[in-house]
Amino acid sequence: MLELADVHAYYGNIRALRGLSLSVERGEIVTLIGANGAGKTTTLRTILGLVRPRRGHVSFNGQRLDSLGTDRIVRLGIAQSPEGRHIFPRMTVLENLELGAFARPDRDGIAPDLERVFSLFPRLRERIAQKGGTLSGGEQQMLAISRALMARPGLLLLDEPSMGLSPILVDTIFRIIEDINRQGTTILLVEQNARMALRVAHRGYVIQTGRVVMHDTAAALWRSDLVRKTYLGEK
Amino acid sequence: MKRLGPAALVVALLAYPFVDKALGLHTVHAVSDGMIYMLLALGLNIVVGYAGLLDLGYAAFFAIGAYAMGLLNSPVLGSPLYGHAWSFWVCIWVAAAVSALLGLVIGAPTLRVRGDYLAIITLGFGEIIPVAIRNLGDVTIEIGGWRPIERLNLTGGENGVNPVGRPHLPGVPFETDPMPWYFLILIIGAASVWAMSRLRDSRLGRAWMAIREDETAADCTGVNPISTKLLAFALGASFSGFAGSVYAAKLQAITPGAFEFQVSIMLLCMVVLGGAGSLRGVVLGAMLITIFDRVILSQTTFLVRAIGRTTGVSALTAVDLTLWRWFFFGLGLVLVMLLRPQGLAGRRVRPVAGGDADDETAVPEPSAPPRLEAVPEWLRTRAAGVDASAAALDVRGLTKSFGGVVALNQVDLTVPRGAIIGLIGPNGAGKTTFFNVVTGLVRPDAGRITFAGGSLVGLRPNAIVARGIARTFQSIRLFAHMSVLDNVLVGEHCRLESSVAGAVVRPPSVVAEEQRARERARSLLAFVGLADKEEDLARNLPYGDQRRLEIARALATEPRLLLLDEPTAGMNPRETEALTELIGLLRRELTLSILLIEHDMEVVMGISDRISVLDYGTRIAEGTPAEIQRHARVIEAYLGTGYEAEAAGQSGPR
Repeated sequence: MLELADVHAYYGNIRALRGLSLSVERGEIVTLIGANGAGKTTTLRTILGLVRPRRGHVSFNGQRLDSLGTDRIVRLGIAQSPEGRHIFPRMTVLENLELGAFARPDRDGIAPDLERVFSLFPRLRERIAQKGGTLSGGEQQMLAISRALMARPGLLLLDEPSMGLSPILVDTIFRIIEDINRQGTTILLVEQNARMALRVAHRGYVIQTGRVVMHDTAAALWRSDLVRKTYLGEK
Repeated sequence: MKRLGPAALVVALLAYPFVDKALGLHTVHAVSDGMIYMLLALGLNIVVGYAGLLDLGYAAFFAIGAYAMGLLNSPVLGSPLYGHAWSFWVCIWVAAAVSALLGLVIGAPTLRVRGDYLAIITLGFGEIIPVAIRNLGDVTIEIGGWRPIERLNLTGGENGVNPVGRPHLPGVPFETDPMPWYFLILIIGAASVWAMSRLRDSRLGRAWMAIREDETAADCTGVNPISTKLLAFALGASFSGFAGSVYAAKLQAITPGAFEFQVSIMLLCMVVLGGAGSLRGVVLGAMLITIFDRVILSQTTFLVRAIGRTTGVSALTAVDLTLWRWFFFGLGLVLVMLLRPQGLAGRRVRPVAGGDADDETAVPEPSAPPRLEAVPEWLRTRAAGVDASAAALDVRGLTKSFGGVVALNQVDLTVPRGAIIGLIGPNGAGKTTFFNVVTGLVRPDAGRITFAGGSLVGLRPNAIVARGIARTFQSIRLFAHMSVLDNVLVGEHCRLESSVAGAVVRPPSVVAEEQRARERARSLLAFVGLADKEEDLARNLPYGDQRRLEIARALATEPRLLLLDEPTAGMNPRETEALTELIGLLRRELTLSILLIEHDMEVVMGISDRISVLDYGTRIAEGTPAEIQRHARVIEAYLGTGYEAEAAGQSGPR
């Protein structure tokens, strides 16, 4: 479904990705694991066309993405919940969510999805008329994820969805990830909470300094010494 | 080679008027005028480039400087004010002082606004001054039939002030020769550049840039935004006072038309073209625009006309390119913004460290765990000198609501000296609001906050930092375009004492203080593991390093209480572990009190002495970690049942 082949990407003259290759098949949950600065967020930004690869290519359902604008890529059915939230602070919760559905062709599907999002995060329903910028950090995180869900994407990119959420919501978030995956959404997940990420994912890639150093099924990664020591924090 | 450049520049500047005279070029007048505009642009750079306050009416200060000179040093006007012309050498200082004072006056109402609003206010001010000058040339006050003041000429009105007295210096022919003017302006300009460069690299310069980068964060790091911004306006205006007074005396006449909106815009163009915040850039920008305006446009006009005459194209012979100057300025500005938005000499964003480590595929260097001996010695000494009984936070009945939403409801909380207190609760429970109230960003509706025996309610954030409370932010708020070292130095701001004069003159005490500040900042960076990155821009650091830098900046304020808002968010388990150790070390070695908002239960339960739980703004539980873990309401609202499962044993993937 999604394929990155030998992607090199730069920020100015900083090499962020150095020949990164990965693939995501339809129906999968794939997780990217790596330290801060390894290139995980850059990978997601490259898929969305926010960063242009200098070499290599990105394709989605056989179509090259690396020359398309971000708005076109989103219309192809890819949505992202960005790290650091990036909600629209001066718009209400409802308006934020409606904007998530901006590029959807099926207008009829929006109302039920709105309902679904509110049942996932009752807190957002309580805050429906509040401006996004007045929400607490964790509530903004819920809003960012919900906004991405409103696009009803074929492929959902999640960047640190559990960041800043209470333990009970971390559980909820990962349950939601599994749920929407079962309903047919393919998911590429970046997460510092490697333990939780490997628990829900089918496969995972370990990224170091801009390239893939290991990829395997989640279960195999869970057992690997490298992952256990470096990313699960075991001694 | 390095020394040769400046030396050659000095020789060239000194030799230029003589060369001009020998060759009979007669350009000294024009060059001197250009240098006055350069000085204005440099003054504007303090406001726009350093402090980040967009000023669209800067020409007003130019006018004030010029009129201060004109009114005090002109023998002709009829009002009693002008009976005795003062000496130029006195007036120039008066002009600078008056401009600085009016800088404060216009600065004061703009303190609460930023960005667009500030720009609009300054725009208004820039319009008011020339209009006021025009209208004050003919003032009549009529009350009934009585006219106490009739046709009083205060400013010369539309006709301006003419003549303005020249400077007198025995043996120096200011009357006949442009050369003394050139050297007078050169001396003022050189002294200004010298003073500005010293200001930039001082405690005050760092505070300006911190305000520009993030005013809230600067406030919470101990920088008083009010006095810092006012100083930017006042100092920026004082330089234009010098420029205006020299301009008036040199030109021998001033009219309100010389200080219109276009002048403000041209000055802004100079700053932006060269690179806001860069002295060299602003000088370059001012030079380019002046040369273009005064030389290139007129010369090209001649050339085009000459071509027109020789080729017989009559359309070309009538061309006057000088009428197109604003077109070219506009075009130039658009091109610079598109191609080089940081300006011609603006600072390039430097790459992050380790950018060319090509072949490493091994495990990345795990962030080194903090070592005991790495705790900066000076922090230890400071910690030892604090009265043990006093340093504690005590909050009683704290209440705050936003609109209809109660964010905090009668919250009590105590942080004893040397304790680590966890503050947890569901998202939106009011934890960060609690931090904001304690640090003075938000005023409480009710309740008491005492720290080290004194009340904190009503104090400004920077005053609370000075009392010994420092914080970090949930969504990291560093000074993004400042170096890592400068970020920490801003933290020391409230513990340093150098004044404006001290920053410029640099007496030994200031030099020593600055030296010590840098040593302390470096030892803090070494402590948090950023020793090799002090020159990087903060924005180029990876996420985990940014979190550590924020803690170093907070420690630089020499806090007795540290408020950490989700310090391990976005960190992997290894990094989390290192940070947890660091927090423990701070408490053990420095008896620092720590209040911690954190969602990683391993961290909170592991290092907290006691934990308070908020839900919907109300404290629902307080106790030891073990008590909190068993607390039914906490499990229901916050921990969830999954937490117990995870704590019990680590299950693998499905």
